[in-house]
Amino acid sequence: MGDTRYEDITVSPAPHISRPLWTHRVMIDVIIGLAPAMAAAGYYFRLNALILICTCVISSVATEWLCNLIRKKPNSVGDFSAVVTGIILALSLPPALPIWAAIIGSCFAIAIGKMVFGGLGANIFNPAMVGRAFLTASFGMMMTTWTVPATIDGKMPRIAPENMLNARTQATPLWWSKKAIKDKNGAKIYNEQLFESTFTGEVGGCLGETSTIALLIGALYLLIRRTINVHIPLAVLVSAFAFAAIFYIIDSDAYMQPLFHLSTGAMLLCAFFIATDPVTAPLTRRGMWIFGAGVGTITMLIRIVGAYPEGVMFSVLLMNAVTPLIDRLCKRVPAGGKPGV
Amino acid sequence: MKIETKGRFSFSGGAHPAQSKDLTSERQIEPGPAVEQVAIMLSQHTGAVCRPLVREGNMVQAGQKIGDSDAFVSAPVHSPINGKVKEIALRSHAVLGRSPAIIIDAYRYNPTRRSYFKLRDDFDENNYSAEQICDAVRQAGIVGMGGAGFPTRVKIEPNPRLPKETLIINGCECEPYITCDYRIMLEWSNRIIAGVKLARRASGCSKVIIGIEDNKPRAIEAMNTALETLADSDGIKVVPVKTKYPQGGERQLIKAILKKHVPTGGIPPMIGVVVLNVATAAAIAEAVVSDLPLTHRVVTVTGEGTANPGNYYVPIGTSVGELIEFCGGLREEAVRVILGGPMMGVAIADLTTPVTKTTGAITVLTEKQIGRAKFAGRQTPCLRCGRCLEVCPEHLNPTKIAHAVKNNLLDVAESYYMSACMECGCCSYVCPANIELTGYIKTGKTLVARQKQSSL
Repeated sequence: MGDTRYEDITVSPAPHISRPLWTHRVMIDVIIGLAPAMAAAGYYFRLNALILICTCVISSVATEWLCNLIRKKPNSVGDFSAVVTGIILALSLPPALPIWAAIIGSCFAIAIGKMVFGGLGANIFNPAMVGRAFLTASFGMMMTTWTVPATIDGKMPRIAPENMLNARTQATPLWWSKKAIKDKNGAKIYNEQLFESTFTGEVGGCLGETSTIALLIGALYLLIRRTINVHIPLAVLVSAFAFAAIFYIIDSDAYMQPLFHLSTGAMLLCAFFIATDPVTAPLTRRGMWIFGAGVGTITMLIRIVGAYPEGVMFSVLLMNAVTPLIDRLCKRVPAGGKPGV
Repeated sequence: MKIETKGRFSFSGGAHPAQSKDLTSERQIEPGPAVEQVAIMLSQHTGAVCRPLVREGNMVQAGQKIGDSDAFVSAPVHSPINGKVKEIALRSHAVLGRSPAIIIDAYRYNPTRRSYFKLRDDFDENNYSAEQICDAVRQAGIVGMGGAGFPTRVKIEPNPRLPKETLIINGCECEPYITCDYRIMLEWSNRIIAGVKLARRASGCSKVIIGIEDNKPRAIEAMNTALETLADSDGIKVVPVKTKYPQGGERQLIKAILKKHVPTGGIPPMIGVVVLNVATAAAIAEAVVSDLPLTHRVVTVTGEGTANPGNYYVPIGTSVGELIEFCGGLREEAVRVILGGPMMGVAIADLTTPVTKTTGAITVLTEKQIGRAKFAGRQTPCLRCGRCLEVCPEHLNPTKIAHAVKNNLLDVAESYYMSACMECGCCSYVCPANIELTGYIKTGKTLVARQKQSSL
């Protein structure tokens, strides 16, 4: 049959074409989505932000590379998932954390949070949150020392409830919220100025969590690119809002307004970037609603009732643990109904 | 009257692979190569394998029945050419592997016929009784030409237990690259409508809906025009549906048009529906009106790996290699020859594989179109991103099923309704980790079938 070259013909199962959207591209999208938050961190915390983000990313990637080397597995650094973990960890750290602590946290996050389970896709817990939990448990003091944003450093802090002149550190809004519950003066603290500050990000807090607007821009990008689904973020935010609203209605003197809780702390970072980590979240839509609602509720429970001012990390880790159960509970029903019914 | 060509209805899930239909969509149906030899597979349909009616050395004529079976679910096979039976030998079949085929050497004199079939102006389906139509369909060996190959007689014959109400004619052709049904709708629209009317008469359906994807406005217009020219077309309606893969899947089309789900594991007649492909409808008209058995079909030879893509009317039994040679052969970059389209078609290594009644296309792809990440070393483990769940038109959990099969947990795979998978390939198509989800599920189904067989 002519000079047709049959030896080059290959076979494989159908389908023979694939959408050119690969894992590394998904991860790059997440990194792009995190870019506004990183930029905001850089603006408010200057060199601290740069150093922490670079440190975490480099040590995360290095740890993954090393783990692969030790386990004699193919190098998986190219999927960029370690970069994402590094960035999220960095964004959830206090700005003044020493470099060595950040390195330890990143190594722990990748090695224990991800690689011991078998690498990408096999981990049960969100690696970044594992790393942060480890740091919180080990260096509690450093993890709760909050730097004043560079833009208001030196001046009188605009939004502190008590005067903290020339302080290099300040409390986070959530810490005031905690204090307000005790002092029953939440309503006095929360005013328009504070809302404005939390919106732009000019408050104390973790690197990437302070700026509401930056996080929302990044989230919008991820939603438009369909990198994340709307279900988990919506469930987190709605449940947190509802929980906070109930307390606010009961005692509006002591408890902050629901919107305060959505715009402060790591709530938005969690809703759009941490809880949506596909590896550790449920697969089915119903499961996503349950998971998101769980994250939002537990976070608010810790913030309002618990001992810590912030509860995002614990709630995500707790819900990660029950994700396999949620998946088993929320099986999908085929389009034509269950067979034989 | 303005014809509505925008589809509003669809199913949930599905994907949007690149259409790539413009390679052949403007190429008229042309006669295929003058074959020297054909191989007629004895099993070209779902159901019992045919028993050969001829022996080595027998002379056969074009249209002569050469294989048949007594089973209810079966269809006879016919010789497309005048010739002499060379042997009964094994030939590659895309799904069944090596299976028996009747090899016929052509005589020198073999007029190309059939594609010049003309429908007479005084055509009236009421001249034929339902039994006559069913009988003619059975004798002509007509099977579902969209791909499944279910004997059409069994589908359209009235069944007192499952009365039929709605006849849906499938002109979606959602699979990328393929244009044979599109060309048939444009060029043979009267024939299709005649076949539809005959099928309606045979099945006793009161409602007839022709579903066409809205990326084929010309086909929608052509079908509407044909409906107007042929008398007594009341109750036949052309409905544009959304362009989305797999819109042409039987269950998806029913969902889009009737808003009803066929029960999982069930068949359309359970909800009173019969679905026929447009090419099948045309074949019914040919068989009933002109007694022409199903011996030829339109095959789209397409893909960036072919030199001269087009739509050809070829004798069933022509080898794929011969057809590709007729279209100028494989290009330098060609790496995959697919029987069917790129989403559900089967890649073949043996180019002597003959065209069967269900072969709608031969797609030749180059590495560029395949574009799978494994070539770039970009395969990763499952991210559990859930994209496969989103696109699954049957609302299954492909990643769970595939990973259960991978770990040899067939009962777990079954608990996620593996058998409801129709292997449309959407999950593999969208998977960012480039896992062969459909391949695993297919394997799992085969393994379960084998288990059941051995436990009998």
